[in-house]
Amino acid sequence: MKSISLYVDKDTCLTRLHPFAKMFYILAAVSAPLIGGALWIYGLFLAISLCLLISGKIIRKVFPLIAFSFTIIITIFLIHGLFNQENQKVLFHLGPLVFYEEGLLYAARIGLNILNMLLAFATFVLTTKPADLVDDLEQAGFSPRFGYMISSVFQIIPQMMGTMNTIMDAQRSRGMETEGSLFVRAKAFIPLISPVVSSSLINTRERAIALEVRGFDSKNKKTFLREHKLAGKDKTFMLLMALLIAGSIVWRVLTWL
Amino acid sequence: MALIEVTNLKYRYPHTENLALDGIDFKVEKGQFIGIAGENKAGKSTLCQAFAGLVPTMFRGAYGGKLLIDGAEAAKTPIAELCQRVGLVFQNPFNQLSGAKDTVFEEIAFGLQNLGIPREEIFKRVEENLKLLDIEEYRDRNPFDLSGGQTQRVAIASILAMEPQVIVLDEPTSQLDPQGSEEVFRVVEKLAKTGITIIMVEQKMEKLASYCDKILLLHKGKQIAYDTPERIFSRDDLEELGVKPPVYTQVCRALEVSRVEGGDRLYPVTLAQMERLRDQFPPKLSGRTFVSGGQEIDGQAVFRIQDLTFHYLPDIPVIEHLDLLLDARPTAIIGQNGAGKTTLVKLLKGLLKPNAGNIFFDDEDISQKTVAQLAGKVGYVFQNPDDQIFKNRVMEEVMVGPLNLGKSREEAHKLAADALEMVGLTEAAEENPYDLDLSERKMVAIASVMAMDTKVLILDEPTIAQDAKGRVVLGRIVRTLSKKGKFVLAILHDMDFVAEYFERVIIMAHGKVLSDGPGEKVFYEKESLLKARLEQPHTARLCERLGYEGAFLTAEDMKV
Amino acid sequence: MKNLFKTKLNAACFVLIPACIGINYLGKLFASVLKLPLWLDSIGTCIGGILGGPIIGGICGAANNLIYGFTTGDSITLVYALTSLGIGVAVGIMARLGRMEKLSGAILTACVAGLTAVVISTPLNIIFWGGTTGNIWGDAVFAWSQASGLPVALGSFLDEVLVDVPDKLITLLIVYAIIKGLPKKLTSLYELDDEVASLD
Repeated sequence: MKSISLYVDKDTCLTRLHPFAKMFYILAAVSAPLIGGALWIYGLFLAISLCLLISGKIIRKVFPLIAFSFTIIITIFLIHGLFNQENQKVLFHLGPLVFYEEGLLYAARIGLNILNMLLAFATFVLTTKPADLVDDLEQAGFSPRFGYMISSVFQIIPQMMGTMNTIMDAQRSRGMETEGSLFVRAKAFIPLISPVVSSSLINTRERAIALEVRGFDSKNKKTFLREHKLAGKDKTFMLLMALLIAGSIVWRVLTWL
Repeated sequence: MALIEVTNLKYRYPHTENLALDGIDFKVEKGQFIGIAGENKAGKSTLCQAFAGLVPTMFRGAYGGKLLIDGAEAAKTPIAELCQRVGLVFQNPFNQLSGAKDTVFEEIAFGLQNLGIPREEIFKRVEENLKLLDIEEYRDRNPFDLSGGQTQRVAIASILAMEPQVIVLDEPTSQLDPQGSEEVFRVVEKLAKTGITIIMVEQKMEKLASYCDKILLLHKGKQIAYDTPERIFSRDDLEELGVKPPVYTQVCRALEVSRVEGGDRLYPVTLAQMERLRDQFPPKLSGRTFVSGGQEIDGQAVFRIQDLTFHYLPDIPVIEHLDLLLDARPTAIIGQNGAGKTTLVKLLKGLLKPNAGNIFFDDEDISQKTVAQLAGKVGYVFQNPDDQIFKNRVMEEVMVGPLNLGKSREEAHKLAADALEMVGLTEAAEENPYDLDLSERKMVAIASVMAMDTKVLILDEPTIAQDAKGRVVLGRIVRTLSKKGKFVLAILHDMDFVAEYFERVIIMAHGKVLSDGPGEKVFYEKESLLKARLEQPHTARLCERLGYEGAFLTAEDMKV
Repeated sequence: MKNLFKTKLNAACFVLIPACIGINYLGKLFASVLKLPLWLDSIGTCIGGILGGPIIGGICGAANNLIYGFTTGDSITLVYALTSLGIGVAVGIMARLGRMEKLSGAILTACVAGLTAVVISTPLNIIFWGGTTGNIWGDAVFAWSQASGLPVALGSFLDEVLVDVPDKLITLLIVYAIIKGLPKKLTSLYELDDEVASLD
C-alpha cells in the first residue's frame, strides 16, 4: 500500500537520532534566528540543516519539498521590493520598476525564514517514521488514544484515496461527465464527494465497534512493545542545540547594547 | 448456571419505532457451538452486538430484559472489561483492522496493549495465535495488503489473543470469496475442537447444520425456535421465514427421504445424516439432458472480443490474446480472485482500454468510445453500492442514471419506478438509501443501472451479503431481463446460483478461458475446475457421492 | 449554553477524526481532478465539527494541518493549523446553536467560518509571508493595496478575504447538502444524549 509519509528508509545517524532530538533541532533552528535578529544566523542554520541532510543521504529528496516556495518567495521580493511602506533608499532599477533596499531586506528576511523552516523541518520529516514518532510520544506520556488517532490517519488516508478511482468510475459509468465547462465539472463534485462521506461514516461506525471490542476505552495503562529512551548521543545533540539558542540570546543582547 | 443466559431480551435502536429484538430467551452452556439463522433484518447482528455489550452501551436506544455472561450483566459492564470475556468478529474484514498498525504482529497485539497485559505475555499470545490461525508467514506484512480471507483470520487472531470465553462470529464469510471462506471455516473447525464457546451467524446453512449443537431461529426480532439443526431445518415454514435449508435437506425433501422421531418427520441436514438414510434413495435418477456439441450461438453476437491483451503494469499481463464471442444468453464468469474476470468486464464497459486487440459491441469497435458514451448501452453494477449512492431518496438515486442519459423527469420517474418494482423495493422509494441495510442498498444500485434500460447488464458479485429472498429476486431479474432480450453478464462466486440461473458458464484463470459452455458441461470438467480452484454446485457433488450418473445442478434436477 | 462544548471522547469520535481528515484530502483531490478554482479542503473539518461538536471540529482542523505538514514537508502549513482549528470550532459552535438546520443558517455559518479563517490567517500571513497568501488574485489585490499606500494589515486582510471567503461559502453549502442527506442511523452515534431507555 502506498504510504503518504515522506519517510525515507535509510540507516544513517540522522535516522537513528531520537525524534525528540530532531524536534528540538527545529525549535532551535526557528527560534535562534528570531531571537538573535541578524540575517547571518539564518544562514548558519541553513548550513547546519544542509549538512545534516547530506549526512542523512537525503539531500536529493529535499528539492521537491522546497520548490513550491520559490514562486512565493519571488512574489514577495517583487511586492515588497517595489511597494513596501518603509521604502526610501533606491537600490536598483529594472526598466520602469524601482526596487528599494528596505523592502528587499524585509523580503530577504522572510525568504530566509521560510527556507530555514522548510529545511529544518525536512531533516525531521524525511528521517522519522510516523508510527515510531507516535510510539515515542506515547511513552513520554502523550495519551495513547490521541496517538492512535494520528497513526490511523496514515493508514486510512491511502485507503480512502484508493477508492477515489472506483467512485469516479462508478459515476462515469452512469453517464456523469467529468470534463467540459465549469458548470459541468462543478456538478460532478457532489456525486464524487458524497459517497466518500457516506461510506467513510459507515466504515467509521464499524471501526469504532472493532476498537471498542479490542479494549480501546480501557482504563488500564497501555503496554509498550518497544522501549525507546533518549540515548547519550541524543542528549549531546540536544545540549548543543540549547547552547546555540543561548548563543543567539547573547548575540541579541550584545547588539542591543 | 449456564455460561450465557438470555432472559426476555428486548432492544430498540434510537429514532426507530420497531423493536430490533423482541423477547429473546435462551441459554448457552460452556463449550457449545450455537448457530443463529434468519433473514436479513431478523435481529441477528443486533443480538451479536448485545453479547459484546455494544448494545446498549455504545448505541444507546431502549433496552429491556437481561443478558448474563458468566454471571455478569452485559448491559452494565463496560465494554473494555466485557471484551475480555466475549469476542466479536463481523462481516467486513478491513473495517476490523485498527488502522494504526503496519504489521500483522502489531495488529494482533493491539488489543492486548490496550488492556495493559505485560509485554512477555503479549509476545507469547501473539505467537500462539499466529500459529493457530495459520498466518505466521504474514507476520511482518501490512494488514491492509492482505486478501479478505487472510485479513479475516488476522481479525479472529486479534480477538482470540484476548482469550475470551465466548467468541461471536457475525457472518464472517459473507464478504469473502470461496477460498477465503474455506480458510475461515477451517479455523472455525479448529476452534470448535479447543472447547471455546462459539456463537455463529451464517447464511451458508450447510456449515451451520454440520457445526452447531443448536440453532436459534429469528424472524423480525422474535425468537421462533431454539433447537437442534435437524429439527430447525425440517420445519415447513422456513420459506416464509426467509431461510433456505441446506442443499441436503432440499434434496431429501424432494425425494422424500426422511426419518421419523417422536412423531416428527426429520430430514437429514448433513452429508453424514444423508448417508445413513442411503437406502431410501431411488436407485437411479435421470438428471439433466446433456447438450453436447460446440458453443451454441443464439442469434447475433453482442460482444466480439479479438486477440485482446491488457496489463495494468508493463511486465505483468493480466489478459493475453483472448478471443471470445458473447451472445445474448445469460452468462456467468467464474474463477478465483485475480483470474482477470473484473478486468475483462471493465474492458467491456470501456472503463479500461485494451493494450492490443479489439472489442466489438454490436459490430462497433468500442476502444475509441468514452465511458459516458457507452453508458446508455452497457450497464455495470459495481460491487460496493456505497461507491455510487449520493442522493437522499431512493427514487432520486435510481433516477440519476436516466437523467444523465438525457431523459425527461417523467420518463426517468417511470423507468425508475419500474426498476424499483423489479428489485422489490417499491415501498422504499421515499426512504434514505443509508437507512436501508447493505443488501437493500445493493438492490438500489442494481435498480439504478436497470433504470437506464441498457442492452447489456453487467453484475459484479451481486449475491454477496444477500439472503435467500434476495437471491430469489436476483434470479428473477436475470430471467426477466433475458426474456426481454437483454444480455446479462455476471461475475459470481456462488456456484449454486450460477447453476440455477445462467445458461452459459465461463471459467477463467490467469487471464485465460479454461472452459466455456452450458452448466451441464462446464461443471463436470473436473480438470478445469481444479485448475481454477473452483467447486461444483452442492447438488452435483452430492449426486456424485450418492453414485448417480448424469448432470445434476439444482435440487430440481433430482426430482424423479 | 451548557451543551456547547460538551464532547464525548469515545472510540467513535476518535475514529471520526481520521475519516474527516481523509474527507479533507479527497475534497482537495477531486477539486484538482475536476480543475475547480477552489481548494475545498475543509469539508471534513466542518463535518467533524457538526457531528462531534466544536472540540472535535477543532481537533480535526489542527490534526489535518499537522498531518498534511508531515506528509508534504510543508512546515508553513503547520502554522495554519490555528486557522483550521478556528474553522472547526466555529462551525461546531454554530451547529450546536442549531444554525445548520436551514439553508440561511448554513450561509451564516459560512460567513462566520470565513471571517474566523480571515481573522486568524491575516496575522499569520503578515508574520510569515509579509502579508501575501500565495494566491495570484489575492496577492494582486495585496500588491495594489501596498502600491496605494494602504497599511499592511488592511492589504493582507483584503487579500485573505478574497481567497478564503468564497471557498468557505461553497464548502459550507456542500457540507449542508451532505449533512441534510445523512440518515439518523449514521449520526445517532454522535448525539449527546446519553440515556438508555428501559423496556422492562
